[in-house]
Amino acid sequence: MSQPLIIAAYSLIFLLSFSVCLFGFIISRRVILDRRKVHFDRVYREIEKDILEAVSRLDPAFTLGVAQKYIHHPAVLTQALLDFGDVIAGEGREQLKIIFSRAIRNRCLRGVASRWATKRLRSVRLFIIFFDPAESDFLFRLLDDKPIIKLAVINALARVPTPETTRYIFRAFEEDSGATVQAYFNIMFGLGNRIEASVRAFLKKPQSPAKLGLLVELVGAIPLRTLYEDITPLAAHPDKEIRIRVARALGKLLVPETADTLIALASDEAWEVKAQAVKSLGQMKNLKALDILEASLFSPSWYVRHNAGYGLADMGEEGLRRLKKVAAQEADRYARDMSVMVLNELIVTAEAA
Amino acid sequence: MGEILRTGLNVLNVIILAYFFLINSFYFLFTVLSLFGLARHRNLTAYVNFKEIFRLPLIKPISIIAPAHNEEKTIVESVRSLLSLEYPVFEVIVVNDGSSDMTLDKLIKHFQLERSRRVFRKVVDHKPIKKIYASPAHPKLVVVDKVNGRKADALNAGLNVSRYPLFCAMDGDSILEKDALLKMVRPFLEEPEKTVAAGGIIRLSNGCRVANGQVQQVGLPRNALARFQVIEYFRAFLGGRIGMGMLKSMLIVSGAFGVFRKDVALACGGYRPDSIGEDMDLIIRMRRHLHEQKTPFEIRFVPDPICWTEAPEVLKSLSNQRNRWHRGLLETLMHNKVMLFNPRYGVTGLFAMPFYFLFEMLGPFIELLGYIIFAVSIALGFVNAPFAVLFFLVAVVLGVLLSLLSILLGEYSSERYPKRKDILILTLYSLLENFIYRQWLTFVRVVAFFDFYKGKEEWGAMEKKGFAQAG
Repeated sequence: MSQPLIIAAYSLIFLLSFSVCLFGFIISRRVILDRRKVHFDRVYREIEKDILEAVSRLDPAFTLGVAQKYIHHPAVLTQALLDFGDVIAGEGREQLKIIFSRAIRNRCLRGVASRWATKRLRSVRLFIIFFDPAESDFLFRLLDDKPIIKLAVINALARVPTPETTRYIFRAFEEDSGATVQAYFNIMFGLGNRIEASVRAFLKKPQSPAKLGLLVELVGAIPLRTLYEDITPLAAHPDKEIRIRVARALGKLLVPETADTLIALASDEAWEVKAQAVKSLGQMKNLKALDILEASLFSPSWYVRHNAGYGLADMGEEGLRRLKKVAAQEADRYARDMSVMVLNELIVTAEAA
Repeated sequence: MGEILRTGLNVLNVIILAYFFLINSFYFLFTVLSLFGLARHRNLTAYVNFKEIFRLPLIKPISIIAPAHNEEKTIVESVRSLLSLEYPVFEVIVVNDGSSDMTLDKLIKHFQLERSRRVFRKVVDHKPIKKIYASPAHPKLVVVDKVNGRKADALNAGLNVSRYPLFCAMDGDSILEKDALLKMVRPFLEEPEKTVAAGGIIRLSNGCRVANGQVQQVGLPRNALARFQVIEYFRAFLGGRIGMGMLKSMLIVSGAFGVFRKDVALACGGYRPDSIGEDMDLIIRMRRHLHEQKTPFEIRFVPDPICWTEAPEVLKSLSNQRNRWHRGLLETLMHNKVMLFNPRYGVTGLFAMPFYFLFEMLGPFIELLGYIIFAVSIALGFVNAPFAVLFFLVAVVLGVLLSLLSILLGEYSSERYPKRKDILILTLYSLLENFIYRQWLTFVRVVAFFDFYKGKEEWGAMEKKGFAQAG
């Protein structure tokens, strides 16, 4: 046999064996998974029944019995706890916590120490659901892990309302680089008013524009009304992004004292800032802003006209009167069309009445 | 003379063998990478509750833009599916691109549409808009009725009318899973500054039971042509795009389902109104623009949000579709040829574009040349018969192996085909596709090449059965 023929024959044998093995693997995997699923569903139904009983009985001894009964089915039990953990609150949830601590917690602890990041992440996520404040020290150690684990840990910590937790989260925020900064927003948002003092302190420190912008946004999103004095000076910040965020935050805080700042921002050199400021002025429903909103309907920027139109609509009767006035004029058809659109939409949604 | 011919044929044979080896090595590499990528994604998203995204304050609203041209059989079901999506804030913009059938009438009737005075900003060019409709019963729905252009033109109209910072481009005849947007938006939440586009998986709805705008039961199509396409889609999406995505070389986010940052798309001038392969064209121009601006960016492939679409079940429709796809590829690569092998465009210029140029664009020619030379070599006795047969078998088994790997990927993904018999059928079809079907597709793509150079601009309409009837 010639050399090419031998090579071709060996290639064929190799590829054929590989394909047959692969086919066998796919089929046997499916058979095993199907069987497992049947088993999983059966155990799940049993666990479901027992969990519901534990939740209604509120008897720790019975709950411990349930945990003990299913200790050898961690995957099914985990799934059941996740499903019920989302919907059961109060004392019932305490029963779920007992089952978690008794049957799964040790396994999770081993998972957290695993060398595989995905295993660590999964275990941290379970801790997030059934978090015990006593474990916060143990979780703090994971703050030096990979970013994805670190964020999961911070998420877990955000559920524990202690000053220490807030301090840890803000410390992590301060030390973190740009890539994951955005994720802190959601975590801090979850902490609500508890972070007011920390945010105030941070607003006074020199920050990168990304972090500063995020904090300003946070003030408006929670909202932290007492911090309005801390963010209004930032309306003169050289970075346009910061001014946009200040305008947005003020529109959410709705503090009457900030109306002048917003009116000033409505005349900003950047159209993005103007657009956000007129929107916020509408939300504020401050009659002082009527003239500037009406004038903004004639802005060359589409977004400013758009937000001014809806801003006037938000102002109530006097705003509607101004919209109708602009809709009736012919000098500027862009301003007219925008007013007509807003009025038309208000009629469709019956808000004009 | 005979000796020269023999040497020439041998040289060509060696080149084609090297090409065959190289292309299959790449496909194998992508598939193996995809296996790792898919397993990693599954592990990372285990225990993630996507509904939590509802509570996130920084979530960006999405405008879904669905161009529709003569989609009367599927449009109501598709729009109903879009309106029932789970996402905090979104709008659905259906662009009726000059349909000559009852598409618009059906929309007006089923969704109680009324004429809207919506004002929009014309940032990108498109054919004139005749009317805009809104529905008091479905405030999220906007229907734009415009003069017929191409899909790209309709998407541009939708882009102008849209109001949100992210937009989802899709086909008017596709169905999104309820949580598809929640899954798709994840990269935009993780890296809001860097992520400019994300694509999901396209699966075939033929053979599935569709009701209330959702796929209720997954099933294999009964039609042979559709079954071949199931394997192709597995290879393309699960094998190819996950792998290409991991190498940061994804050049296509499918036109049937992709989410984009509107500001970046507008900065590139939106869609090119006359482009045939508008999905690939936009991604390449986005990459080009961002490389030129030296802005770091990410284009991500997310392996779990699924978009269901109907595959052609007759040869003519399939031939039209593939002809159009290949013309789109050629047009896009030619339009951006400055990027080819150009280090200024990083991995796009040095790997992704050359890959598409050598293996996707020239592939059909080289494959056809291979068949011809192989046949001539056998006829002239330059290659011995046992070797020819063995080599053909090697090629077939290699093709089956790659398909089996993609079937395995399908097993790892969500919404796999439920019956064990389905795996057997898919394996059988991955064997059968090597005979006639594959050669026919090669021929269709070669014809597309000539059509492109002849200036053919025809879109190539596809005959639809509608979701309920697809089998």
